[in-house]
Amino acid sequence: MEMTSCCSVFYFRNELAVLQALSSTVQRDPTASHYRFQDDPYLTPRTASEFKLFSLSQESGRNAAKYIINTYPNFFLKDYAEPHIPCLMPESLQPKVTEVCEAGLRELIHLRKVRSAVDMYDRLLQAGTVVSLELTNNLLDLICFYGDQDPVQGDQAEPEKTAEGEVVQDPAPRRKEGRFRKSDSLHRTWRKDNNAERIFHLMPERNERSYGALIRGMVKYGAHSKAFDLYTDMQNNRMAADVHAFNALIAAAPEVRQKYSEKWDLIAEMLKQMNKLGVRPTLLTFNTVLKSLLRCGPLSRALVLQVLGEMKALGIEPSLATYYHILVAFYRQALSPSTLSRTMLTTDLLHSMMDEISGKVFDALDPDDVYFFNYAMNICCSLKDLGLAYRVHSLLNVGDNWKLLGNPSREGFYYGSLFNLVCMMENIGVVLQWYRDLVPSLFYPNSHTMRDLLQALDADNRLDLIPEIWKDVKQLGLATVSGDLAEEVLALMARDEHSPEIQESFANCALAVKAVYGHGEQSQATLDFTASALCNMATILLAAGRTDQAWEILQLFKANNRVPSEKLLDEFLNSAKSGSNSEQAVTLVQMSSSFSLPATARLAQRVEQEFDLSEEQKKALQDVEATSDSDKD
Amino acid sequence: MYRRALVTWCQGRSPVVFAQDVCLYYPKSNETANLRVSRTIVPGVCRTLTAGTPLFSKDPDELPSQDATQRRDTKEAERQEEGKPERPGKEKLLEILGQMKVEVVSKKPKVPQEEGRSRPHPAEMESTISMFQEATAGVSQQREKLSPKLVAAASAAAASLPDSARAESELLQQLRRHEAVTQAQKATDGSHIGNIIANMKVGRRPPLAQTGLRNPLDDEEDEHGGRRKAHSRGVATDEESGRRKKMQLGGKRLNIFTQVDAKAKEEVAAVPAPLTLSLWDVEFANTIGTVVNTLPRNGFEEMIEWTKEGKLWKYPIDNEAGLEEEAQVPFQEHIFLEKHLDEGFPKQGPVRHFMELVVSGLARNPYLTVAQKAEHIAWYREYFQSKEDLLREAGAC
Repeated sequence: MEMTSCCSVFYFRNELAVLQALSSTVQRDPTASHYRFQDDPYLTPRTASEFKLFSLSQESGRNAAKYIINTYPNFFLKDYAEPHIPCLMPESLQPKVTEVCEAGLRELIHLRKVRSAVDMYDRLLQAGTVVSLELTNNLLDLICFYGDQDPVQGDQAEPEKTAEGEVVQDPAPRRKEGRFRKSDSLHRTWRKDNNAERIFHLMPERNERSYGALIRGMVKYGAHSKAFDLYTDMQNNRMAADVHAFNALIAAAPEVRQKYSEKWDLIAEMLKQMNKLGVRPTLLTFNTVLKSLLRCGPLSRALVLQVLGEMKALGIEPSLATYYHILVAFYRQALSPSTLSRTMLTTDLLHSMMDEISGKVFDALDPDDVYFFNYAMNICCSLKDLGLAYRVHSLLNVGDNWKLLGNPSREGFYYGSLFNLVCMMENIGVVLQWYRDLVPSLFYPNSHTMRDLLQALDADNRLDLIPEIWKDVKQLGLATVSGDLAEEVLALMARDEHSPEIQESFANCALAVKAVYGHGEQSQATLDFTASALCNMATILLAAGRTDQAWEILQLFKANNRVPSEKLLDEFLNSAKSGSNSEQAVTLVQMSSSFSLPATARLAQRVEQEFDLSEEQKKALQDVEATSDSDKD
Repeated sequence: MYRRALVTWCQGRSPVVFAQDVCLYYPKSNETANLRVSRTIVPGVCRTLTAGTPLFSKDPDELPSQDATQRRDTKEAERQEEGKPERPGKEKLLEILGQMKVEVVSKKPKVPQEEGRSRPHPAEMESTISMFQEATAGVSQQREKLSPKLVAAASAAAASLPDSARAESELLQQLRRHEAVTQAQKATDGSHIGNIIANMKVGRRPPLAQTGLRNPLDDEEDEHGGRRKAHSRGVATDEESGRRKKMQLGGKRLNIFTQVDAKAKEEVAAVPAPLTLSLWDVEFANTIGTVVNTLPRNGFEEMIEWTKEGKLWKYPIDNEAGLEEEAQVPFQEHIFLEKHLDEGFPKQGPVRHFMELVVSGLARNPYLTVAQKAEHIAWYREYFQSKEDLLREAGAC
């Protein structure tokens, strides 16, 4: 006895234990990109779009290889691996059994060839063979699952692609889901009298599973009322539906009734029948109930918590999807832009929910689980509740909960919201800490996020960090995405006066920003100079004492048909005066007159009074004044 | 309870006022009363007088004189307890109080008068003290806690009432309760008025039970009402928890499903799950798999993935991995292959000799399975059987 317990300590629990232990010692490197890009430093993504592109190419390369192997299995017969590795060998996609028999049908079902399987079944029936009930049920499952159509080849790749290609700006997971459903039902509908129904009616005997398969298929492909008809039929035949069929019916319930209360009555009726038949509800049952309740309008708020109470009373552990649906029921209106005033009132729900679930480890039990974190963070953002956001985030870091954040784009959106909130609410030290921690490794900020960061810098008087941030902006490829980010950087740098060192670094930064404008040598996307951008650049350069470079900027006004502001010309005059450069001063006045600025006369006067002018220069000035006077006339 | 305490306190006060009134109407008292007062006050006359009303003065130096007053007052009470109701006694007391007040109001002209009268009767004094000590030994212990001034005032007030003994004990009891509460308050948090209010039970509803039962719908619907309630409670609790309504998630249930008892649960557990997964189950698992983030975050996680896919040696490393079928075959099958020579081979001779060499070679070959070895031997058997004629000719058989 003691011996075994002693030995069991040294036994490996499973073959993954060593690797899991080692893996738990590895921390995320905040300066590195995601692990999947480690192989090739050249292919390290620097921007969100590169990240998307590279992961897609990686995935598609993998799929292409698989496709080749599976299409030409005859080229991949040599098995080098010892012991044998089945997943590296080509999958047999072609049926081996060709004659008409049950084994052939079984193989076709296994290979998910819907049409050939139906053909085979028909031929078997014609030949007078009786197909076993179980096999027919399997066939029904197959037809109903794929809606009487052959599955698209490379099915695995498709969801990955759509998920990856998701636009990051798309904030609401609900909307996305809706889009999916729509596109799904668009080209896949339950056709009347399709093969599933035909085979179902041909069956000599039917059991619960046959009915269940058909009900599920009908609900999946939008034939909701038909599913309920079939259910009535089933009741007439004194058969009890299984829990999956009930789940499907509950999901379909809101579709077959008009009024909110009627919808709920139907759901409750289904649940009561489950109880009567002794069918034990599962987590998915209740999640479906909650999801259907969301379509019952104001009723949902009153009932979702009762559903949760029912789950608890029955000892069913809720998953994140459960909590997500509850949150949607309560915050849906608060988050919609039309009712901003109500945002404050429901803070407590998420608070008490976090009281309940913080520190728990969740498993993925429902496909809707992945919406929870995003939605919760979204709520925190709308409520501007930083403490709550930190609680949500700490839940994410418990165990393997991070997996439930979903695919990278959803992850990016989550961290974007979190960082946005941190920028708004925290002081700049904490903001920068988060920034350094999150930015290249977990998400790639968009221009909106960077603007938030700049505002946070401005609010805490840490404008001296702007040159650093600008480097990041450029690296993230945001410099040319929208001009206003560059403009904002310039405006912030030009606004106040700073110490000489900072002015110097600002001047360098301004020149770096300047490189983004105008027409680059390559066919890169560039921005057009605006008057304010040029003004700000010149101001920054003048403040740093780089007169020559500032004069170059002044030339750019003319080249780009922009007009400098009076204030800028005054500043130029000041700098010319401090250098007692009368030549420059006169040129400035001439330039001003060429822009036909109203301030020309004033500037000319200033120059006459403040500078020692040669005869020639005086004459030039008089000319300018004369022309400006004539312009006025 | 507290409110009552306050009320009694007020009651305790009113006689003082009353006494004042009395003394206003009857400024002069009779001899005895005056004597006593002057006698007790003597040591600190000036101070007592200057300090204003001695009942509420806080100067500890006055305590001796106050003790004396107290003793005297209680003595009066004792006398009444003993069933000797003295009409003059009560009057005397009132006079004392009145006198004191008057003294305060017009202290300067009175001072010489008081001094002139100050001569106690020692015998009377003794007797009163001993009486007091004997009769109220127990009471005094309790009283020690109370400020003597208060006790004096209380007994004075009680004396003015018809059933003075009972009234006094009631008053003192109340005062003690009051004292106890005050001490408790002090111990917790200084003299913070908020605490006192918080501890009051007046008009305070049990908040948790109520909010827990409240319909969440109403909660959200009457936003203002809800917030107001929270604020009104916020006086007692701290600000943060006042703002947050405690919401119990899932307190109420639908009551559709009947609770499964443990026995039924066991029965459910006993029914084995269907061995074959239907297509729906498989695809459901796939959906979840594609939805969650399964990208490996580091090399080890990638290795875990590979191990699961079967691309990597499994830990602990075992050089017999993948030879599960061979593991069924015991080693003697590999080593002792002579039994395969029993049939189809000559018992002796060069062929036999050759085959023994073959068998010993095969026994040392780790790369072939037992079936392959048997096959190998079977090939020779066939070969030699087909060449049997030749061998016989050569005499090798």
